[in-house]
Amino acid sequence: MPPGLDSLKHIVVLMMENRSFDHMLGALKAQNPQIDGLTGNESNLDTTGATVKVQPLAEFQSQLDPDPDHHFPAVDLQIFNGDTSNPRVANMQGFVKSYFNQQHDVGHSAKIMYYFTPDKLPVLTTLATEFAVFNGWFASIPGPTICNRAFPHYGTSFGQVSMDVFYVKEPYKSIYERLIAANPARTAKIYYYDQASSTMEIVNLLQNQPQLFATYDQFLADCKAGTLPDYSFVEPNYNDHDGDDGELLASDQHPDHNVQAGELFIATIYNAIKENPALWASTALLIVYDEHGGIYDHVPPPACTPDGFVAQPNDTGTGMPFAFDRLGVRVPAILVSPWIPKGTVVSGRTFEHASIPATVTKFFLGDYDPRSPREKAADTFLDLLSLPTMRTDGPEFQTS
Amino acid sequence: MAVIRVPQPPKGAFNKNRPVSALLKNQILHLHEVEKRFPPAQHSGIYINRIKTEGEAADYIQKVTARLHPEGAKRVRFDIAAAGETRAKSRTKSKRKRQPKRKKL
Repeated sequence: MPPGLDSLKHIVVLMMENRSFDHMLGALKAQNPQIDGLTGNESNLDTTGATVKVQPLAEFQSQLDPDPDHHFPAVDLQIFNGDTSNPRVANMQGFVKSYFNQQHDVGHSAKIMYYFTPDKLPVLTTLATEFAVFNGWFASIPGPTICNRAFPHYGTSFGQVSMDVFYVKEPYKSIYERLIAANPARTAKIYYYDQASSTMEIVNLLQNQPQLFATYDQFLADCKAGTLPDYSFVEPNYNDHDGDDGELLASDQHPDHNVQAGELFIATIYNAIKENPALWASTALLIVYDEHGGIYDHVPPPACTPDGFVAQPNDTGTGMPFAFDRLGVRVPAILVSPWIPKGTVVSGRTFEHASIPATVTKFFLGDYDPRSPREKAADTFLDLLSLPTMRTDGPEFQTS
Repeated sequence: MAVIRVPQPPKGAFNKNRPVSALLKNQILHLHEVEKRFPPAQHSGIYINRIKTEGEAADYIQKVTARLHPEGAKRVRFDIAAAGETRAKSRTKSKRKRQPKRKKL
């Protein structure tokens, strides 16, 4: 086994909210042409027929208001621009039209094409250029948060394409249950920010297996003490609220929450791992976003292995069924480890959120059959830990 | 490599009166689905249809989550500065007491 995998003891996944790859990392193409980002010529037509190009004008807050629609019918429009023929080709031309539908403001609809310059996102862009950035990590479903967040937990959304409550179906167990039931048992935790933010995985895991959960404070303490479990899933703060220490800003970067607060959160997670040398040497940290939030990306989502479920037209809202045979829009995804060569760009491979339980299962459990076809087919990512010796460099972030 | 300074969000970033997003509305619905099964004496007493702001959502989310995961209320004592942690805070002109500075070990 490569020394990076020999040393690996912990996998940590941080899943942020609602930003597309081009919106957050597209500008990096100018620094490194290998990164499948923006040339500046990408565009959509607005509702008057005028060309709206991508522009480096994204702001931290108060710009994408109202929250861009990212439910299944809206994402279908964004990807296919209203084409309902069969077969049809994804063209990524419907983003401006989709955003126009919410306020009927032509000028405002252009803002869906805005992206961040790297200097505004020092944490995300530094990690992307220092470690491994994925050119082809897609949301699992062309739809919203709850069904997309099901895929890292279960490898499927059990037929859901919406935000509705769903219940898990046998024989598919969550990655946490698989690990804990293994012989010998492995360890796993879902760290939510605090009780006022909570988790998005409620009716199945929080209700039935609360022992899987801990808070972000506990995550930081576990990093310091070197007691992280084998697998950790970390959720950001989902809302602005008062805490014991004062006002607590949402850190999920979901519009219209402040993007800088999310940068701080990512930096703190990274620092917590890096500042424990033994943990740093034995941990792989994946930073990924659940879905694109309705924001522009230029890469058409590919087809994928169906997961065995079908969403009916009443559920999709498009008048067409969905066989879970096409991925959602591309999202930022970065893998951090001192065993990854600097400047790694993962190209020519397709990843999605089912890659997470697929990777964790493969590493900690080996062969494990009762999983969705999607998860079984998903690419895994630990081969990126390829260096023969561990790096001794790595960025340092000052957060205070 | 030089240390990279991560800017703090501005004072006005915090807004617990921000209208709830679709995501938070759905999180509330999921929590309510579970709350309905609690004995009546353990209900939050909050009508979810009256939740309009993030602060109100946080109150409800905290109450139901506390019932499901009471361990989440425990404060974990450790040195936040040594872990490189700082929470993004927005200082307002409220009469909140000034917190003592945390010392680095």
